[in-house]
Amino acid sequence: PVTAGSIVVPYGHVIGNEKWRGSEVAQRLQGKVRLIFEDGLGLVDFHLSNRTCILLISEADLVAGDEFKRRLVKFRNASSLRGIVIVEKTQISDQYYLGVQKLVVLELGMVLLPVANQGEASQLIVQLVSVFLFLVLQVREQSRDRGANPFLRKQRAQPAEPAALQTVQHIPGVGKTKALLLLQHFGSIHGLCNAAINELEQVVGQTAAQQIYSF
Amino acid sequence: GHSPSLCILADSREISSGPEVISSLRAVHGLRVQVCSLGTSDYVVSNRLAVDRVLQSELQSPRNRNKLSQRLQRLQGIFQRICVIVETDRVRPGETSRFFQRTQYYDGVLSALVQAGIRILFSSCQEQTAALLKELALLEHRKDAAIQVPTEPEGHRRDILNFYLSIPSLSYGAALNLCHSFGSITAMANSSVSALAAGARLSLSQAEELHGFLHRDLDLQLLPQPLPAQGK
Repeated sequence: PVTAGSIVVPYGHVIGNEKWRGSEVAQRLQGKVRLIFEDGLGLVDFHLSNRTCILLISEADLVAGDEFKRRLVKFRNASSLRGIVIVEKTQISDQYYLGVQKLVVLELGMVLLPVANQGEASQLIVQLVSVFLFLVLQVREQSRDRGANPFLRKQRAQPAEPAALQTVQHIPGVGKTKALLLLQHFGSIHGLCNAAINELEQVVGQTAAQQIYSF
Repeated sequence: GHSPSLCILADSREISSGPEVISSLRAVHGLRVQVCSLGTSDYVVSNRLAVDRVLQSELQSPRNRNKLSQRLQRLQGIFQRICVIVETDRVRPGETSRFFQRTQYYDGVLSALVQAGIRILFSSCQEQTAALLKELALLEHRKDAAIQVPTEPEGHRRDILNFYLSIPSLSYGAALNLCHSFGSITAMANSSVSALAAGARLSLSQAEELHGFLHRDLDLQLLPQPLPAQGK
């Protein structure tokens, strides 16, 4: 079955495809995350959350041919979940990596992360779980300070005043003092742009006014 | 075949840190590479996509965490899309091969990048990085986001470009587009949000931010006080 829809993942759990029971990756995950096995996950190997899942491509899949590509395309067409593809990049499968990367990242727009073996795959999954779990925790507790994802843009409003002062100083003949006088007098960059030459003359004198006006 | 006008902007620091990326983009892939002082990212591939080239060893070291996160946060304020190319470190003469010991910290960094929606590509050398940059530029070109304005304004236009570049949260590409689309700074400043978005190839929310910056009535309290008036 081509199941690629979302399933409910209990908080703090990972749901694994039955086919991985007893595998090295599953053994290493157990104890680090709460792993539940389920039948009928179809194309997906592990569900990390209701929105995020993992597809694991082994060295053998890569070497065997294009079957895994059909599986990825099928997943992409059938699912709106965020799919993270973890691929075993070894000395043997290395030659296929660039082609896989082009397909997965550039054509399908999914995430692709290489690992050297199943041990590394489990370590990576543990980290992915903790980062994605932390996000859930953050939303729950509304605490956005401690340990937050360092790569997310902080919505910190920067005051516009120093920046505007900098920008105005890029007009030829305008240094810090004149920039300050101009902004104080005309209120905004838009106001300054629409100032008449005689208004400018009253603020910065004839020479500078001419330079600003012609700029 | 790809368009001969395909253009990539490269930060001037890349001349020393990624010389083979630049030469391979030009010689092997036939792209136009404009070296300029981007400051924000290593490469700008389209009107909306910035690419940073990071060595694998830099992602392994917690010491780089603050630098990297500040850089990427800043990029996220300026660009709609960000891609990181993780490049394998070069084997130095005398070393047989570098053994890469994957750490939990490294996996944590990758996970955080994924969660932040930053695209990640892996490359084994500078030549491969160049090939990936070309692929990205082609993709963006197909999506009608390629940089298609002259990238080397001269004389008065150069001064105007520098003026635009000083506006916060405006990318190098957006500043170039403003130069090209508006006859003067006044014409730009008198434009509506939608005209700014079309002229600079910005998203509506970014254009709103720019419009706000130009029109904001500045709070004089927040400006440093002028020097006492000199006697006239």
